[in-house]
Amino acid sequence: MIRATRDLRVLLPFILLIAVWWGIKAGADVSDRLLVSPPAVWSSFSYLVTHGILAEYASTSLWMIGAATIISFSVGVPLGFAVGTNRYAARALEGSLRFLQGISGIAWLPLAILWFGFTHTTTLVIVIYTLIVPIVFNTMTGVRAIPENYVLALRSLGASRLRIVRDVYLPGALPSIVVGTRLGMGYGWRALIASEMLVRQGGLGDLIFGARTFNQIDRIMVGMAVIGLLYIIVDRLLVQPVESMTLARWGVLRR
Amino acid sequence: MTSRRMSLGNRLLWRLLPAAPAAVVLIAWSIYWEIARPPPSIMPSILAVIQTAGELTIGGRLPGDVLASMARLLGGAMFGIVTGVIAGFIAGLHRPTSEFFNPLVVFFNAISGIVWLPLVIGWLGLGTALAIFLIWNTVFFIVFQNTVLGVQLVPEVLEQGVRTLGASRWETIRSVTLPGALPYILSGVRSGLGFGWRALIAAELVGATTGLGQMIFSGAEYHRADIIIFGCLLIGAIAMAMDRWLLVPIEKRTVRRWGLVAQGRGR
Repeated sequence: MIRATRDLRVLLPFILLIAVWWGIKAGADVSDRLLVSPPAVWSSFSYLVTHGILAEYASTSLWMIGAATIISFSVGVPLGFAVGTNRYAARALEGSLRFLQGISGIAWLPLAILWFGFTHTTTLVIVIYTLIVPIVFNTMTGVRAIPENYVLALRSLGASRLRIVRDVYLPGALPSIVVGTRLGMGYGWRALIASEMLVRQGGLGDLIFGARTFNQIDRIMVGMAVIGLLYIIVDRLLVQPVESMTLARWGVLRR
Repeated sequence: MTSRRMSLGNRLLWRLLPAAPAAVVLIAWSIYWEIARPPPSIMPSILAVIQTAGELTIGGRLPGDVLASMARLLGGAMFGIVTGVIAGFIAGLHRPTSEFFNPLVVFFNAISGIVWLPLVIGWLGLGTALAIFLIWNTVFFIVFQNTVLGVQLVPEVLEQGVRTLGASRWETIRSVTLPGALPYILSGVRSGLGFGWRALIAAELVGATTGLGQMIFSGAEYHRADIIIFGCLLIGAIAMAMDRWLLVPIEKRTVRRWGLVAQGRGR
């Protein structure tokens, strides 16, 4: 009962928004080239779903972000560890990483297009770049935030290097790594959509930008809603639970 | 503390280390270029990039593009900061409002920025208005969320204290809540500007005829990798300069001046 009313309360502002949107559309007599009515968006949505078009575009995007996350994670975390555990490497790379953070992935898109053409590789490279910088950076800061005494204590008890990595560095840096991955996925998702708009080889960005050329406002709005919902679903149902689990289990070290 | 124990040579090494990655990249780049001699559309020589930088800067399109981008960033960010702070105060001070609108905030935050481009092109056309909309959309949510957090973290005791002394609601907000929330607002402004800059570059790639984003995108159309590489480096340099010389000093000063208020317990 309480749950049901809570769910209803989540929907309430959306109902208000749709009412306002419909009111503007009907009251101000806005052209279909600028804004379409909510039922038009709904019928476009059901068309895209029943013809499998939406599933095709959405699965391309989801595959991309998934592949980019796995690649960035498996390269970025070891790299972040290597840099974080070595004072000289950290000193050498910190400034450059900060500089790279200022150049968004999408800014490299023109160069990637010259190198790889209008292909999935281009998009993948852009998304990996966007994802990997925060992962490396957060792994590095996570490792460096671990009090040195923990390492020294274990070492004086005769632990091997591997043991120290496993028992101190990994759990100590894990919360920061997870936070970095979550941030990176958020940035990466946006970079993916932007890149798909320009590369035009499938994906939700292609769906909404392609619909622009034919003035299909209904399709654009369906695409936007799906982009938002997929992000929220992945972030809230997949990534956030992992984050809070990690923070609850190992987060103490960071205090 | 580390440098004191080091010898002179080590200290020199320590100071030079941050330049090492750039040096490695430059060396690798020139060796690769000497050996492979790739076509200039794929990989120009370092010299060509420097030359292009000079040509674009002196009598070229660069000054106009930088100016256009900066003006858009300024306009969109101003707009985003003002609306974000106002909305943040309303939501922060009135809990039912913030709870009611929270689902909308979560949803629109998820599609903030570049996702709006296809729809808003139809409303505003290509150009400055579109870029300003996308920057506003990006900056707004970051500033809004930080403002709400800042406002809610001001200890209620302080506000009640001032009210007991006879201050009106408005005076309390002005002299207690605003300075108390300011450090949070400014850290929102700082990251908001960083993301606004990214959104701007993305918007300019397709949604404008001038600006740095358009400059690098037309570099791809004319197969001029030199323009793109120089443009990307400049984009990074501007972001870094803005952060280091403008936003960090402002943030530091504010935290030193008013940061104490926020250290109390939340409500």
